[in-house]
Amino acid sequence: MNELASLLRDPEATFEAEDDYENLNELFFERGWSDGLPVIPPSIRRVEKMLAYCDRPWDEPVGLLPPRWGEATPWRLAANAVMAGCQPRYLPLVMLAIEAMCREVFNLYGIQTTTHLCAPLIIVNGPVARELTINCAHNAFGPGWRSNATIGRAIRLALVNIGGAVAGSGDMATFGSPAKYSYCVAENEQASPWEPLHVERGFPADASTVTVVGAEAPHNVNDHESTKAEGVLRMVAGTAATTGTNDIAYAGEPVIAFSPEHAATVAAGGYSKAEAKRYLWERAWLPLGRFSEENIERRMRVKFSERLGNAGPDAPVPVVQRPEDFIFIVLGGAGKHTAFIPTFGATRSVTLALRRRDGECVHSVEQLRGA
Amino acid sequence: MAELTRRGATTAVVCSDAFLALARNQAGVFGVPEMPLIVIPHPLGGIPMPEVKARAERALPQLVDLLRESLR
Repeated sequence: MNELASLLRDPEATFEAEDDYENLNELFFERGWSDGLPVIPPSIRRVEKMLAYCDRPWDEPVGLLPPRWGEATPWRLAANAVMAGCQPRYLPLVMLAIEAMCREVFNLYGIQTTTHLCAPLIIVNGPVARELTINCAHNAFGPGWRSNATIGRAIRLALVNIGGAVAGSGDMATFGSPAKYSYCVAENEQASPWEPLHVERGFPADASTVTVVGAEAPHNVNDHESTKAEGVLRMVAGTAATTGTNDIAYAGEPVIAFSPEHAATVAAGGYSKAEAKRYLWERAWLPLGRFSEENIERRMRVKFSERLGNAGPDAPVPVVQRPEDFIFIVLGGAGKHTAFIPTFGATRSVTLALRRRDGECVHSVEQLRGA
Repeated sequence: MAELTRRGATTAVVCSDAFLALARNQAGVFGVPEMPLIVIPHPLGGIPMPEVKARAERALPQLVDLLRESLR
């Protein structure tokens, strides 16, 4: 039976308070139930309303969130979605992203607790991205768009409130990142010359998917001069090949988010996605001698002993282990820029399709309503 | 480690002081809040070998105390 009051038997699951916005927010700040910004108080009525598009039992966890290993049940996720300012129809994507992050290969424990400054990046593909008007164009990573801002924020609040990613005792990031407030975009599929990410990964074009990447904030590749594919890709390679990324020391999957204009230039050169990845991979490397002596001896020669054990200073160190480890998406509005997004390194991205409980792919969140 | 502690083995986690709060939290999460922690000064990464040895010297008496305690 999906009736919230009956699921809240644990006396700590609820508390009574006067419905006073300012006082409640002070209480939430005091208890650490916030990202530092005011929240919408998750009353039972609001949380029930948020669950309108949830087609599974409200107390059936979609996963356990480290380091507290709290149960990410739909009703708890809905409470965080209320706090973040989501519309109820956004909740299925919040739940799906959390489910994807709980896959072992994603290494959410590492991402939550590391000193590195990574945050889960959410990339939405397929018709639901358009239905929920998730921004894929100008300022896609920036503010001003409700679905991007609140879906990403709901996920962060869940990672804090359910997962215990509290600064200094659960989240040990040396710096953290502004991407930890919210980090959610849709791919600009209509402006892409290539197949979108979810199709590249084997899903039907009309499936809706969420891809999660344990990512740094974007770093820009400004290229207003290259008129050929090879020029754009060389500039991306030069930006990606830096000594301090985790990807180069582990087996990461950095994201290359091409603007539509850069993607068009690369595709006009006759490059498929796979061919462009190979061209990039062959050029995105550093000579071993660019690393510090201690890094060469203590890290590179140890981690890549077969290849670099006795290698000289000119030996190439690739940014990623295989061309297919680059994740390509097309994103953004007008402008000749590409975003290079390094990752935590010790993580693999996960793509999951939005499905009903019977396993059928969902083309619209309306298919989940009241199910 | 938590599982080994629960099974009664003498266990400890070596932890740098900057990560003490996380270690205590995690011991609690895994149901063994009393799990011993051997605390060394932060950092352990990126230090020369003599400093690594100095940290081992800080850890050793804590380990000996722990073993003595467990044999009582």
